Amino acid sequence: MNNDVMVLGGGIAGIQASLDLAEMGIQVYLVETLPCIGGKMAQLDKTFPTNDCAI
Amino acid sequence: MLDAGRHSKINLLAYSQVEEVSGEVGSFQLKVRKKARYVNEDLCTGCGTCAEKCPVAVEDEFNVGIGHRPAIYKYFPQGIPSTHCIDAENCRQLGQGKKCGICAKVCQADAVDYEQEDQFVDLEVGAIVLATGYDIFDPTVIPEYGYGRIDNVVTAMELERLLSASGPTAGHLDRPSELALRAEIASLEKDLNKFNRQIDKLEEKHGKETSEFIELFEAGKAGDDADFERWADLAKKATAAEEKLAPMKKREAAAHTAKKLAFIQCVGSRDFRFNRFCSSYCCMHSVKEAMIAHEHDNETTSSIFCMDLRAVGRGFEEYKLRGGKSANIKYVRGRVAEITVDESLNPIVWYESTTTRQVEHETFDLVVLATACVPSASTPKLAELMSLALDENGFFKTDPLAPLDTSRAGIFVCGCAQGPMDIPESVAQASSAAARAAEVVFTAPKAAASGGE
Repeated sequence: MNNDVMVLGGGIAGIQASLDLAEMGIQVYLVETLPCIGGKMAQLDKTFPTNDCAI
Repeated sequence: MLDAGRHSKINLLAYSQVEEVSGEVGSFQLKVRKKARYVNEDLCTGCGTCAEKCPVAVEDEFNVGIGHRPAIYKYFPQGIPSTHCIDAENCRQLGQGKKCGICAKVCQADAVDYEQEDQFVDLEVGAIVLATGYDIFDPTVIPEYGYGRIDNVVTAMELERLLSASGPTAGHLDRPSELALRAEIASLEKDLNKFNRQIDKLEEKHGKETSEFIELFEAGKAGDDADFERWADLAKKATAAEEKLAPMKKREAAAHTAKKLAFIQCVGSRDFRFNRFCSSYCCMHSVKEAMIAHEHDNETTSSIFCMDLRAVGRGFEEYKLRGGKSANIKYVRGRVAEITVDESLNPIVWYESTTTRQVEHETFDLVVLATACVPSASTPKLAELMSLALDENGFFKTDPLAPLDTSRAGIFVCGCAQGPMDIPESVAQASSAAARAAEVVFTAPKAAASGGE
């Protein structure tokens, strides 16, 4: 039995899942195919419906 | 993003992919390939000197092909990890076998390492969360919308980059046709300068003005010199370039930023030829982009062509109405049949208005296609690798009553890997998937113990 978790994909969903797991004290391996995490949300300027900054 | 990169409990494996998976819930064995960055992560400070000096220009993926990036690059300025990376395929030294090595020379941290190789990491985990996201539908398969053929027809993501203050146009809504024109002018001017420099040298060497020389040369009185043929040729080339530049510069001077926008909804979604499903976020995305464009330039007007505008979500309907009232957005109910182009490269949108029951057309500065959210290209491969079922649309299959559980125990899915959704929903699903995964790793030892192991 192993208590670690792997998260595949470093977009907004992967980052959120990783942070939640890590805050619960679980060791997380966050795997992303691109050179940086951030995913599509990093490409967005602002988000609806509040026009807040995406990054 | 920064928190995830810094958290002591998160081991970040960027530029990596899973190659092998075995085992079962509670104990999955995975082999992960860490692709060679050709830059030592521990040494690189992310200063960017290498990227400044790199002579290669590759289409910039982060800016969806608008603008260029060097072969040694950071995917985007705020990217985590803050390490550069060489795109080996486009690197002169690594991919094309040429002698270059500039980045290694200028790197003060000595971080560039052309000898680096892919590494394999073997890991064991109790549960897996898939958050592999989605791809943007390729609108070139809809020829009537002219994407790829008409310069000023762009996708929603391209507009997003054009509107971004840190994007290739610093947030000004320059049209792709004008960007192409400017690039052409710049390249012609570069050539012209080169010709002129050579001509200047010849003028100095022979102590004659070019006009004077050409007159003599054409009359056959210039005499005999190895330089003369070349001089005449250069003069001809320079004149040709100048003649070509003049009308282009005139066009460039008359150009203005895009002020009249059209958004075409359901491009690739709710279309039985491609995807039957609704991509859910594109209606609000178009409203948002139209609002941002209006915020940037108050003269901007937008028409959103839709079958129906789906504003389902907290605050969405109010947002839509606010756009109509204060951001010059007009909502037009009608499916667009075709996009054509006039001689000033303005796209013309042809549509059937369901309110007037007429086929109508209108000319715009820029047309934006609200492209569908489709399963990521890596999804089928990953599904095969992990023996997971896909649904009829190609996303990871889940049960309506257990929307985060895939067909295999211990593997959960969240965000757009499961189906199209917006950011708040992705975040909510991510937290739920994290909770499901935590449930597995916290409770499984007890279950295993009661099972007699």
